[in-house]
Amino acid sequence: MAAFDPGDDPRPLAGVRIMSQAIVWAGPTGTLILSDLGAEVIEVESIQHFTPTRGNVRHVPPEQAQGPMGASFANRDISEGFWNRRNSFNYASRGHKSITLDLRSEAGRELFFDLARVSDAYIENNAAGVVDRLYGGWEALSQVNPRLVMASFPGFGLSGPYRHFKGYGATMEAVAGHTMLRGYRGESPAEVSATFHGDPNAGAHAAFSIIAALIARERTGRGQLIEISQSEAVAHHVSYGFLDYSMNRRVQEPQGNRDPSTAPCGVFPARGEDAWIAVAVPDDAAFGALATELGLPGLADDPRFATVVARKRNEDALEALVAGATANATPAEWMERLQAVGVPAAIVYHQPDMFDDPQLQAREFFAEIGHPTIGPYLYPGAMAKFERGPADLETPAPTLGEHNEEILRGLLGVSNERYQQLIDDEVIGTVYLEDAR
Amino acid sequence: MAGPLLGIRVLDLTQGVAGPYATKLLSDYGADVIKIERPDGGDPARRIGPFPGDRPHPDRSGMFFELNSGKRSITLNLATATGRGILRRLAAGVDLVIESFRPGTLARLGLDAARLEAIRAEAALVQLSNYGQDGPYRDFEMDDLGAYAMGGVLALTGGEGREPARIGLYAPLFLAGGVLATYTIGAVFGSRRTGRGERVDASLMEILASSMDRGGPNLVAYQYSGSLMTTRSASQLRNAMPNGVFRCSDGYVSITGQPNFFPRMARMIDRPDLADDEAFLARLDDPEFLPEVEPLLREWLAVRTKREVMEKGQAEGLPVSALNTMEDVFNDPHLRERAFFETVAQPAAGNVVMPGLPLRMSDTPGEVRPAPTLGEHTVEVLTGDLGYSRLDVSVLAQRSVI
Repeated sequence: MAAFDPGDDPRPLAGVRIMSQAIVWAGPTGTLILSDLGAEVIEVESIQHFTPTRGNVRHVPPEQAQGPMGASFANRDISEGFWNRRNSFNYASRGHKSITLDLRSEAGRELFFDLARVSDAYIENNAAGVVDRLYGGWEALSQVNPRLVMASFPGFGLSGPYRHFKGYGATMEAVAGHTMLRGYRGESPAEVSATFHGDPNAGAHAAFSIIAALIARERTGRGQLIEISQSEAVAHHVSYGFLDYSMNRRVQEPQGNRDPSTAPCGVFPARGEDAWIAVAVPDDAAFGALATELGLPGLADDPRFATVVARKRNEDALEALVAGATANATPAEWMERLQAVGVPAAIVYHQPDMFDDPQLQAREFFAEIGHPTIGPYLYPGAMAKFERGPADLETPAPTLGEHNEEILRGLLGVSNERYQQLIDDEVIGTVYLEDAR
Repeated sequence: MAGPLLGIRVLDLTQGVAGPYATKLLSDYGADVIKIERPDGGDPARRIGPFPGDRPHPDRSGMFFELNSGKRSITLNLATATGRGILRRLAAGVDLVIESFRPGTLARLGLDAARLEAIRAEAALVQLSNYGQDGPYRDFEMDDLGAYAMGGVLALTGGEGREPARIGLYAPLFLAGGVLATYTIGAVFGSRRTGRGERVDASLMEILASSMDRGGPNLVAYQYSGSLMTTRSASQLRNAMPNGVFRCSDGYVSITGQPNFFPRMARMIDRPDLADDEAFLARLDDPEFLPEVEPLLREWLAVRTKREVMEKGQAEGLPVSALNTMEDVFNDPHLRERAFFETVAQPAAGNVVMPGLPLRMSDTPGEVRPAPTLGEHTVEVLTGDLGYSRLDVSVLAQRSVI
């Protein structure tokens, strides 16, 4: 049974209550999915520590708002209250509730445990050891509520020689071998932009593990601790390279956009500024169709390119020929033309253009979500459409401490006097303290 | 060991990478996943490799091992009415039907949402496709490069002024598969609660467009401010803190940090004086100062190994790591001490060291099991699960149904 009766709410996780101290990029990916699935996600924040997705720009000179940093705040407004205007928080925390608790105070910890008693799960990705020092971690929580499920995912896991190493997505990906396989063929991996692929992956996995553990709980009657190492989870993404080493002792190198089993596979310049088309030819028939569309009909009969083996052997020459023939149409035109003849082709989308994409528009992917302080904007919608229990795409992300009263007084039964005392003692609040870090 | 999903039964009609990675997670964590494969060659992942000794064989593809651990494979010719009948009989006993055919195919196989409702009302139906079950791109083909391109992320990766470069073969599809697994298990959870099977329509393009690394937040940044947070460039020049991938004596290291981390870097490079140099620190917010800062780091790195750099930097609290090659990954002391890798006896290839469980569950751990050979469980499933006789099975084989 879940924490409370969901009534007739058709969403899959309706009635499931999840406490969250999921931070940076990885954690919020997990709670975004859990919340879209209908769970009540309560973010336990504090007025002493800035929640990373809300940003910390209090001491940033106002003129920097015009630079890249300012782009993540609505209207580039980085003045006080910025924490309710940040893109990452307002995207990934939609539909969540926010309470603030100073967990370094006795009163804050007491309420934290009270909330754990009436919750199904708890998700956190602080550095290893942080929650143990703060309030006793899993050991303390599981005593308070043996049915609680806890997912903990520091970068390198809870054991092993790197467990206290500092890291972000880029750090974990490097350990998993991901970074060495990125980028251009024959070049240094330093030549390409950083990615943070491991973050959303770990967050999605944490959400998976929580739901799986709730299913197990139906059988066992008890909760459990789940540990996820971001680098281990992302190691699967480069398993092609890993297994080549494991089975053949071959150390793979970056392949650019090429595919080991087919050709051509790459991005080619199209008409327009920084305009590219991605083309991947699965077989000889598709190659013939591509050659015709490119205006190079002889190519498919050319012995250098007639078979996939020949095309792999002469891939440099092949790519040069294709690249020389794609500049006369836009990416969207190429996609239409090539898909019509069965060639997998894709627009290399610049994100601003995606708002006008006919497919995303037809499926109403973007959702307009209001917000009490910044008003309505378009946001990416749910990552999967649920027919019977669709995601709530109306409730915005919470402002800091917005649900203090609802949760602390309503759910946990804190008296009027005690509630006022919590405010006076700065255990709770809705504005970051002057010395917040 | 028993996983959390013990007792959950899955009819798996996915193939390739993303869908099978989702059902691999279900399988590793205890679900009984029955994988339907075409009799003529099976899942295309059987042809991807890498193969031991580079000799292609449908039962020895490394990617197939990775993506199909613990599943039961049955071959079924869905072009025959009998094959489609068996498919519906299998559906009648499961908690989840998951597929990644081209939109419309499942209905032609006689197993659309309405039919499933009649056969097994409580079973969830999850449909993964390139672009979704409807819309103008519904029938378009896509590979992993295309998924990355259409999701808006490929344009952001690579070098400035050069062609976009993907971040590793299949990686976007694994990310999408992990996300899909989460929505899928959510659908199963909800369907069990309500007794009515949920219907899920998932699009690779939409999953990647939403991704929290660059996709979703960047789209919102554009709405908020008219510009993106990041662009395609190896250096995102915002200040003078060296950040990114740097060469050292035997390879590369990755360093992440804002100017407030510079004192840690200063101590790492044996320049503790700079950690307290207020005038120096004050200039770190200015990107123009970077050409004076970066050489100090590069010079120090040039004569040190990636492991030395990692150890020393981490001892100072700087987020720095060695860029592991796959050989380094295989031998990495942390991954080894945590016993991440699993040696799995693959039926047609012997022992293979595989990436292990991505989630460690204290009470219901799950396990990485061998991947099936093509049709390995056909007889077992037909006789055991569906109650066909041995004779029935040999007739079905003669008629090329299985």
